[in-house]
Amino acid sequence: MSNSTRLIAMTFWRTIFCISAFGALVLEGGEGEHWAFLKPQRHNPPKVKQADWPRNAIDYFILGELEKKKLAPSPQAEKTTLLRRVHLDLIGLPPSSAEVHAFLADQRPDAFERVVDKLLASPHYGERWGRFWLDAARYADSDGYSHDAPRVMWRYRDWVIASFNADQPFDQFVIEQLAGDMLPKATQAQRIATGFHRNTQINTEGGVDKEQFRVDSIFDRIATTGEVMFGLTFGCAQCHDHKFDPFKQVEFYRMFAFFNQVDEPRVETPTVAESKARAAHDAKVKSLQVKVNGAEKGTDEQKKNQKELVAMKKKRPGATTSLVMRQRKSPRKTFRFVKGNFTRPSEEVQPGVPAVLHPFPNQEKANRLEFARWVASPENPLLARVTVNRMWQHHFGAGLVETENDFGTQGTRPTNHALLDWLATEFMRVKWSRKAMHRLIVTSATYRQSSKRRSDLTQTDPYNQLLGRQTRLRLEGEIIRDNALAISGLLSRKMSGPGVFPPQPDGCMNLGQHARSWKASTGENRFRRAVYTFRWRATPHPALKVFDTPDAFAACTRRLRSNTPLQALTLLNDPAYFEINVGFARRILKGRQGSDAQKLRFAFRLCLAREPDAAETKILSGVLQRELAAFAKTPAEAEALLKGYETGGLPKPGLAAWTMVARVLMNTDETITRE
Amino acid sequence: MIMDAANLQSQTRRHFFGQCGMGLGSIALASMMDERAMANSLNSFAPKQPHFAPKAKNVIFLFMAGGPSHLDLFDWKPELKRRHGQSIPDSFTKGKRFAFMNSSFKDANKLQGTIRDFKQHGQCGMWVSECFPHIGTVADELTLVRTCKTELFNHAPAKLFMNTGTGLFGRPSMGSWVTYGIGTESRDLPGFMVLQSGPRGPRGGGVNWASGFLPTSFQGVPLRGNGDPILNLASPKGIDGVRQRNSIDAVRALNLKRAMETGDPEIQTRIASYEMAYRMQTSAPELIDIKSESKATLDLYGAQPGKASFANNCLLARRLVERGVRFVQLYHTNWDSHGGPSQTLTKDFDKVTKDVDQPCAALIRDLKARGLLDDTLVIWGGEFGRTPMGEKRETPGRNHHIDAFSMWFAGGGIKPGNLVGETDEFGFGAAKDECHVHDLHATILHQLGLDHERLTFRFQGRDFRLTDVKGKVIKQMLA
Repeated sequence: MSNSTRLIAMTFWRTIFCISAFGALVLEGGEGEHWAFLKPQRHNPPKVKQADWPRNAIDYFILGELEKKKLAPSPQAEKTTLLRRVHLDLIGLPPSSAEVHAFLADQRPDAFERVVDKLLASPHYGERWGRFWLDAARYADSDGYSHDAPRVMWRYRDWVIASFNADQPFDQFVIEQLAGDMLPKATQAQRIATGFHRNTQINTEGGVDKEQFRVDSIFDRIATTGEVMFGLTFGCAQCHDHKFDPFKQVEFYRMFAFFNQVDEPRVETPTVAESKARAAHDAKVKSLQVKVNGAEKGTDEQKKNQKELVAMKKKRPGATTSLVMRQRKSPRKTFRFVKGNFTRPSEEVQPGVPAVLHPFPNQEKANRLEFARWVASPENPLLARVTVNRMWQHHFGAGLVETENDFGTQGTRPTNHALLDWLATEFMRVKWSRKAMHRLIVTSATYRQSSKRRSDLTQTDPYNQLLGRQTRLRLEGEIIRDNALAISGLLSRKMSGPGVFPPQPDGCMNLGQHARSWKASTGENRFRRAVYTFRWRATPHPALKVFDTPDAFAACTRRLRSNTPLQALTLLNDPAYFEINVGFARRILKGRQGSDAQKLRFAFRLCLAREPDAAETKILSGVLQRELAAFAKTPAEAEALLKGYETGGLPKPGLAAWTMVARVLMNTDETITRE
Repeated sequence: MIMDAANLQSQTRRHFFGQCGMGLGSIALASMMDERAMANSLNSFAPKQPHFAPKAKNVIFLFMAGGPSHLDLFDWKPELKRRHGQSIPDSFTKGKRFAFMNSSFKDANKLQGTIRDFKQHGQCGMWVSECFPHIGTVADELTLVRTCKTELFNHAPAKLFMNTGTGLFGRPSMGSWVTYGIGTESRDLPGFMVLQSGPRGPRGGGVNWASGFLPTSFQGVPLRGNGDPILNLASPKGIDGVRQRNSIDAVRALNLKRAMETGDPEIQTRIASYEMAYRMQTSAPELIDIKSESKATLDLYGAQPGKASFANNCLLARRLVERGVRFVQLYHTNWDSHGGPSQTLTKDFDKVTKDVDQPCAALIRDLKARGLLDDTLVIWGGEFGRTPMGEKRETPGRNHHIDAFSMWFAGGGIKPGNLVGETDEFGFGAAKDECHVHDLHATILHQLGLDHERLTFRFQGRDFRLTDVKGKVIKQMLA
């Protein structure tokens, strides 16, 4: 559990470090001069000795620091490793056999850049990166609290994915989510975007005070805005002045005032298809109406048409709804709550922002839209920094500021401040294009390094903060499943729409207050990407939860990567994964003619992109030969193993043996890791 | 101290990999290493040093979900009975907020005496109602705290408060904190296990035993009443123990090879996880097979093999601590005695009290007889108590109440035959020695050798604790 252990150790060091950092802060002059509150400065990349290594600016900053410690960067990863890495990182799916072949054969100097461009243009990029934003947005398909009633919110999820795919400028992305409803001539998409702050929980338990939970939702909105867009713990000032950062409690309630003017409706947000169906229906109604109006009254035909018209009007096609924010007409007054207790209002406060941050431009027009523009302003010292830092975190395992949601005085200092600031200014320079930043990062020499450990690095830089190598990272819960589906050939690439229900073991839905049903989807929906899995907060899908997918009770900007026996049981025994293993075995047998050895190579490459070596081949053929013999001897065991699963007309003993091989491959650490 | 241990652990790992080459020789070396030593050195579950010498090693928390009425079980109030039907003085309720304030509990201010007979039990003279004849017989083993206080009066938030020290979702539960703090002695089972009985699951469900921001390795693992005792425990049909072992051996061989090539210690942890998973496949079915218990033991609990019940779960709790599981939590519903259908203080209360009475007493006796009570802290209680004022639904019930309620504790260095705190004449609030949930948490951790102020985890920029920024150890509870 190196990550958890690591965090524990970090806590220890931070305790010591913070004391010294705090001391240093006092020397610097205290409040307001903490590095993160100052605008990022763009410095030229440093000069380096190993001048043939850097591919872009990032590499100069990284190499500069490595050279200070007399460390060399690691060699580039194997081509297959690199290709699999960038596929999993950018689209969350492994490269196909054809893609591996093509890349290995492509000798052009920009072969890798071409792959990157192709991946960034793939709609799967939005599914992969949208999911991280959905973590931060605490997106779920249920209300939370004890009842955890289902809600319809998937239009917001799809909006996020579409925004990533369209490479909407990030500042616009932020503004629309905080106040899309208030934009001039707001579009339906911009209203759906405000669902960002409707992803709060809703308490429908008996006996609750509605006002209490309305107020709690606003607390959550401020804490989430702080954490996600500033990397600051605004939430700490809910009950008292912030203990460490220069935020006053009253400033928390000034921000509260922006969100206090929000109504929380559920509105119709018809999809394109629904709008078309409605338009067609309305046209029919209209033409019938004309007929009725034009016809002579009292005739049989007129009566018949009249009746039909009434019936038709009742059958107007429905539209998907979504939870949105809407500015209310009659403003509420805002008060500071003593100790954050909503039953103890104190003095009235006006909308405003923390004084330590960049100034609010227009106090006369202090509304939520102006607040959103203030958040997304290039004057904001933090938005670009925290955003590029999180991209970095996903590409390297840890951010340049490891405490990705705390850039305050209690957070860790950047491991490479100059690089962080350069990236932040670059992000604004490329007009907040997320794709441009991903391209920059993944085409760097730093990103392309091997992830193998080196004893000299382990000694000097045990936590790999200087990035003298890449990092092996266990895949996220969704990607473990998506990857397995892609390997097995079962994956459906259908996008968008209501949540789906991939199979899960019986009884898991009884763990909440209400025993709900989980009727497993059939057909294509059974094998969709996990970003489309219906997300219950109280009873999350166990095969996702066990791999640390967040439960959406609060914003999550960094997932843990635990490593537990329950994960082993899931991959070994969960019938849903077993179904995928059988599918994989079918693919091996049908997709590759030839000897067993050739089939084994084919299977291995599907999982890991690379070729097996002699030792690996020996281990796997050992499994295959043993199982082939065993199932040939007792075909009844093959019958039992495959009962209820699709055999595709293949002889069962052979399919059973290959299923056992497939299962070993799917359980291998490397398969669920990007190296 | 915990931090040092963790540091040491990662040092050890680095050392291991620093010293090993990349060849096959080291694979052989790794497989020759004592399995257990390796699993321990790599496993966050492994026992860790507490802050100071512990009194208790394990915890069994009998969680009475829904909020048991202290006034009908442990807090005998003759004055309440005498003034039945009178209005409660305003001084008690001024400025207080209650659940259902705008509906069924509106204007409810009439005192309501208990309909239950109380009598004193044991040398300590503990008052216990007729609902708990068996628990009365073990009164001299218990510390009864009648002045427990919590903050939140709706079920789900209050349950979270009792489990995590806050009403907010997403914080680690006590069992997670404890296994994070001191690991577990169990080699074959998770360190924090949860069992459920009663007509429905507890409100809030799995978040009550979630690990919050701590790694998922510390979350409570439900032992399921039907199907696999642990999710995905059984191998797919057609895969027997040998076939499973062979498969895991192949996975292990591939993983070991990759571990040597990449030097990534995470792969070693993965190998250890698969070994533990394999052992659980054997140990968990053996654990739940209570047929192996003597008839005398089964009768003591009122347990019946094959039937899901609180009695069976109490017996399983003993079997779990015997196997070194650190934190066992039992949930039993439904204690929500509002007076509505299936929530009466008569028939329904009889049923739920009968469900738990004998098994609770049996657990104490059985643990004691086996010498396990000294090391095992048993906790009984719910998320809050009930109002001294009646609630008028179909029958007279009681509303949620947070200012005073009763819990009891036994074993694990808790003083036997002991009464802590006194409530006022109506059992509304503490008259003496209020024991806030934060204080109870501090005390529980203390018995496990953990200083509640030092058991911390950094999240969202600050060091979180089970006890938030409060809590003090309740000295009167300790032996």
